Amino acid sequence: MTTGRRVDGSTGGRVLVAMSGGVDSSVAAALLVEQGYEVIGATMRLFCYSDKDVADRPCCSMDSIADAAAVAAKLGIPHYTLNLADRFGRDVIGDFVAEYSRGRTPIPCVRCNSFTKFRDLLTHADALACDYIATGHYAIARDGALFRGRDPGKDQSYFLWGIDRQVIARMLTPVGEQTKPETRAAARNLGLITADKAESVEICFVPDGDYVKILEENLPSDAPALAPGPVVTTSGRMVGEHEGFARYTIGQRRRLPALGEPMYVVSIQPETRSVVVGTADELFGHRVELDELNWLATPLGVGDTCQVQIRYRSKAVPARVSTISGASLTLDLSEPARAITPGQSGVLYDGERVLGGGLIA
Amino acid sequence: MTQSVYLDNAATTPIRPEVLEAMMPYLTADKFGNPSSAHTHGRAAKAGVEGARRQVATALGCDAREVIFTSGGTECDNLAILGGAFAARAAGRPFRVAVTSTDHKAMLAAAHAVEHLGGEAIVLPVDRQGAADLEAVDAALAKGIGVLGTMWVNNETGVIQDVAALGARCAAAGTPFHVDAVQALGKIQCRMGDTTATFLAVSGHKIGGPKGIGALVVKNREALESLLHGGGQQWGIRPGTENVPGIVGLGRAAELAVAEVGTTSAHVASLRDELERCLRERIPDLVVNGADAVRAPHVSNVTIPGTDSSTLLMHLDLDGIACSAASACSTGAAEPSHVLIAMGLAHDLAASSLRFSFGKQNTKADVAWVVEILPEAVSRARQVAGALGR
Repeated sequence: MTTGRRVDGSTGGRVLVAMSGGVDSSVAAALLVEQGYEVIGATMRLFCYSDKDVADRPCCSMDSIADAAAVAAKLGIPHYTLNLADRFGRDVIGDFVAEYSRGRTPIPCVRCNSFTKFRDLLTHADALACDYIATGHYAIARDGALFRGRDPGKDQSYFLWGIDRQVIARMLTPVGEQTKPETRAAARNLGLITADKAESVEICFVPDGDYVKILEENLPSDAPALAPGPVVTTSGRMVGEHEGFARYTIGQRRRLPALGEPMYVVSIQPETRSVVVGTADELFGHRVELDELNWLATPLGVGDTCQVQIRYRSKAVPARVSTISGASLTLDLSEPARAITPGQSGVLYDGERVLGGGLIA
Repeated sequence: MTQSVYLDNAATTPIRPEVLEAMMPYLTADKFGNPSSAHTHGRAAKAGVEGARRQVATALGCDAREVIFTSGGTECDNLAILGGAFAARAAGRPFRVAVTSTDHKAMLAAAHAVEHLGGEAIVLPVDRQGAADLEAVDAALAKGIGVLGTMWVNNETGVIQDVAALGARCAAAGTPFHVDAVQALGKIQCRMGDTTATFLAVSGHKIGGPKGIGALVVKNREALESLLHGGGQQWGIRPGTENVPGIVGLGRAAELAVAEVGTTSAHVASLRDELERCLRERIPDLVVNGADAVRAPHVSNVTIPGTDSSTLLMHLDLDGIACSAASACSTGAAEPSHVLIAMGLAHDLAASSLRFSFGKQNTKADVAWVVEILPEAVSRARQVAGALGR
């Protein structure tokens, strides 16, 4: 077995790298080899792969396992495929379906990080006596704390708030310190076959972005979430019918010409199967309530301030903690936020540092 | 210090030096020619092919004209099962095949292909020790079978199928009988005459020969329709320019395998027995699959409850031990062995099994290393299985 031993024979420790077959984790593995770690590559098999490579989700086919294996071979490191499909099916896909059934809009990548990558994969890393676990995330783990990645356009710290705080000290995030173009350049310099692979932007287990199909496959045909229901205004007036509230998310524009002005989905009420629409103004809120809190720093108290980011692609806004109760917390925002969506993540930052996060209630 | 211990000889073996030496002139020197050519180079190549055909025939106890070279075991099984089924259909016999549930995927998949083509596939059950259910065999033969196939030695468990009994039944019913002897050659006495087989398959790379070469002994050409069509080489049964170096390598490897079968089998049997004895001692709940069956001497298949094969394989690999779970799989994330499931093992037990397979190059030190490493790998795999609720 070839490992990244230093010239003097010592190593920086043993690290398990989650290799998806994409460019980021390929470069992560390569950088760790360069840095003198003893690197073991692992590709998680998370769901039933189709045999053909689907262009817009390049990390999720059998070919991607082969790509990861080819990169590992090029780097001279061992590579294994770990079958975590049953766990992923329950913890991530099952939760995804359940959340939509409750009228919420989940982020499966957050669940995958919390449950699959940094828990189940970590179990394997422990058994392999690995000191560290590494991924190709654009985030920075340093001295037991988690920070935003250096490339603001690629920062993925938003998806990592749910992992166990103790894991941060064992996380290596080699690509977090660089920009995406730097990562691609590194991959090209190393001659990695994944250097020019397309970016994966879809949810890996949702073919062609059609998440409703996943819901239809996993829910009974008479599931309320997929059954017709009323479209009502915030004042309670019924203005139309929809084909299932799970097809909607907060902030979506709804074509209702009769109402004169543009209308948006402002809430989903599963108990009455209602999709509630309102004006653009009604989409804004000043308060965010978070459940299932997880802290990656000393927990905040009532009156403390931070910045909260409520969507992957939105700006963090200043906020003050107004109430805390168990694993729930309420924040008052200094400026109104658009489309505060139940099921999405509210991630708390102090500048670049991730303090923790929770699910929007 | 990490050792390198190769105990996956049922998957493949390195080319033996004697074999490589025999092949070299056919790769580079003056014997590179096309055997169909009329000139010196062609004649040299042709002589190599025909010499190898005689070597294989001698090794298997058949006539040289009965030896058809193919690309390996998978092609042999497809040729025998599919080609046998087509010949049966053409002759007005049943377009129906029977294979054993523990057979290699090549055999099972060929049988399913017959089904897809409008025929019928019967998969014969086995008992807990892997022996074909003879009542089911009789019932299938009574129904009418175009060709019946089985493996002489199972690749995952080493269990020896009673091919004499199956062959006698097929002969009595006038049904062509195909024996996949890929894992039998060089490990047990393996003579065409012991089986009354119509077809018999062997492969080069399991016996120290190269990959991509095999041979199907065809006793009765009427019972076979060729699957490939071309220039008429090998009596048209398997046309295409011959893989001359491969064929020469197979001939030499088969010759050596049969000459050494006594010493090889005694050597690997003693290593296998030592491994099983020590592992049972160290891992009390370990079960040897097919332990009560008559087994070929080179394979040991063990189930270790509370583990999973892929985790075990990973840990063993990191400590330099190469073995396998079920048969080699293209993705590395193997499904539980269909062979063990066919033998009645529960899904989770089948998924916590390992196959060690020995070759002539293995030593007692190899066994000692496995005995030292495996118990620790087992405890780590159990730790993972416990944490992941398996």
